[in-house]
Amino acid sequence: MSEAVLEIRDVSLAFKGKRSLLDVLSNTPVKNVNALNGVSLDLRQGETLGVVGESGCGKSTLARCIVRLHEPNGGSVHFHGMDVFASHERGDRTYNRRVQMMFQDPYSSLNPRMTTGQILSEALRVHDMCPEDDVPARLANLMDLVQLPGDALEKYPHEFSGGQRQRIAIARALAVEPEVLIADELVSALDVSVQAQIVNLLLDLQDRLGLTILFVAHDLRLVRHVSNRVAVIYLGRIVEIGDSETLFASPSHPYSQALLSAAPSLDPDDKGRKIHLEGELPSPLDIPPGCPFHVRCRHKSPKCTTEQPKLRPIAGRGSVACHHAEEIENV
Amino acid sequence: MTLRSVKTPLLEVSGLCTTFGAGDTSVPAVRDVGFTINKGEILGLVGESGSGKSVTLRSVLGLSRRYGRTTGSALWRGENLVTLPESDMRRIRGGEIAMIFQEPMTSLNPLLTVGVQIDETLKAHTDMSAGERKKRAIEMLDVVGIPAAGSRLFEYPHQFSGGMRQRVMIAIALAARPKLLLADEPTTALDVTIQAQILDLILSLAKDFDMGVILVTHDLGVVAQTCEQVAVMYAGRIVEQGSVRSVLREPRHPYTVGLMRSVPQNVPPRTPLYSIPGTPPSLLSLPDGCAFAARCPQRTAGCETGRPELETLKGGRSVACFNRVEAKGGAAA
Repeated sequence: MSEAVLEIRDVSLAFKGKRSLLDVLSNTPVKNVNALNGVSLDLRQGETLGVVGESGCGKSTLARCIVRLHEPNGGSVHFHGMDVFASHERGDRTYNRRVQMMFQDPYSSLNPRMTTGQILSEALRVHDMCPEDDVPARLANLMDLVQLPGDALEKYPHEFSGGQRQRIAIARALAVEPEVLIADELVSALDVSVQAQIVNLLLDLQDRLGLTILFVAHDLRLVRHVSNRVAVIYLGRIVEIGDSETLFASPSHPYSQALLSAAPSLDPDDKGRKIHLEGELPSPLDIPPGCPFHVRCRHKSPKCTTEQPKLRPIAGRGSVACHHAEEIENV
Repeated sequence: MTLRSVKTPLLEVSGLCTTFGAGDTSVPAVRDVGFTINKGEILGLVGESGSGKSVTLRSVLGLSRRYGRTTGSALWRGENLVTLPESDMRRIRGGEIAMIFQEPMTSLNPLLTVGVQIDETLKAHTDMSAGERKKRAIEMLDVVGIPAAGSRLFEYPHQFSGGMRQRVMIAIALAARPKLLLADEPTTALDVTIQAQILDLILSLAKDFDMGVILVTHDLGVVAQTCEQVAVMYAGRIVEQGSVRSVLREPRHPYTVGLMRSVPQNVPPRTPLYSIPGTPPSLLSLPDGCAFAARCPQRTAGCETGRPELETLKGGRSVACFNRVEAKGGAAA
């Protein structure tokens, strides 16, 4: 197994709740949104790690923590052994350059008043990627890489379709020659046939440039298609992580089982063995004690309500955070 | 394949066209769309963004009148909804035909409690007394699976999560017991687990109230699991229509084939996915011939000059294509 590029250890992040005057007077305790509660994972050289979960589970927060858009309250992120949140590293831009993020909404992540050429050359200049004279050649090369016509450089973002904008976002990330790409719902806003084009481009670029990708998405079919490994997140904790094919073929955690069974099949006669999850994601303001999933779980036992399960390796599968992982039948 | 002895058509749409004008240019968003929906039936309307799915729904309800021109007919109990005066339309809208909008976050009034918003519909469309209306509102919230319905009537939309807000939207739409529900991407903004719950809910309500449903979506999986009939739209027209089973099993229009192939299912992981080359044509400059010709792998010279009409084949399937994809087994049912 190749070495870990990013080592994420016990990262937790709580957003401070707002406190009104009334709360202060009535002595109501501050409520924090516990977005991440001790996430640990390794991102290995050259792999694609898919991250799935319901909205509000913390998958985007995790992506943002990795690129230092949020600072975690606890835990650490190491990039090739270097602590990215250590104080003396803060001003260091090389980390920003080597780990690039691509955002979900192609309509708001590009400056509407800059042409594609300006957007891309800004990235090149900030990181001093190449001498001024070589900028046009590099821009043309980037356009080639993401399969956009050369005249796209003169155009403004509003002149492009959603798929083309995501190509520009990819070009901007690639401009600074990163090692790791963090793709936060990169294709979620696109139509299925355009999605396919962008995914193909991403897979092709990964092969050619040897990129490592963290692919955050809620479309399970897509994640299964692009990922080598997959992590399932529930309420800011990883509940299962492992090889993509194994996890999708036989999920072990009851939450993964329910999540995967909810994806509608294309075959009208395959009604599936849908596992119905009762209720909704509990609020991250008020995470249930014990296993956070026990309120919706079909297999809960008294132990689940009091003791929080640790992520542990299960023979023949990935790592699972469930007290009953061995007993639960695979679906 | 349903064993329903008599199919009563609920809504018959034919030749529906909606054009939006902007100065000298006109944008034909919906062109010559026709379909029939029966009692208790769920029709799926699929296509890429900009293919005219939502405008079709809005045209049926007369919501695109204010900024566009709608022609054609949408027969509802002997009345043509397209030409019906606005005052009569108000009686039908929300009462007999209800609509669920795409974004639960923006379609509810943030300043009114959920209870008031359900009550509004009932006040306008029923003769119920205040007490009865309240009872019905609680009942509806209960039906759509909102716990502690009685107390949540007095809460505001921001106190509900996305999935819960979508349920409130459905409760409002269903409060006056409509006979037809137009659902515009009701689950697109939601997670798969919640999506499954909402779709099950719509399915069971269609069955219980014998209500017709038109479900607009771009997710073929949703169509496969929910609908009986499906119509595939491209550049404002229906290009293929038929029972879900037959269309998804054996698509006959090259566009439907392309859509099905772009879904990453049953393909080896990390291999290139199929994608339809090119982009949909601009509605401002539609080609004379088939709108899909430029992207079509099966195009012939005739496709660029003549426009294929929607032709009904054996087994109730309609396809608008000169070079239909051959049915695999020979007999398409």
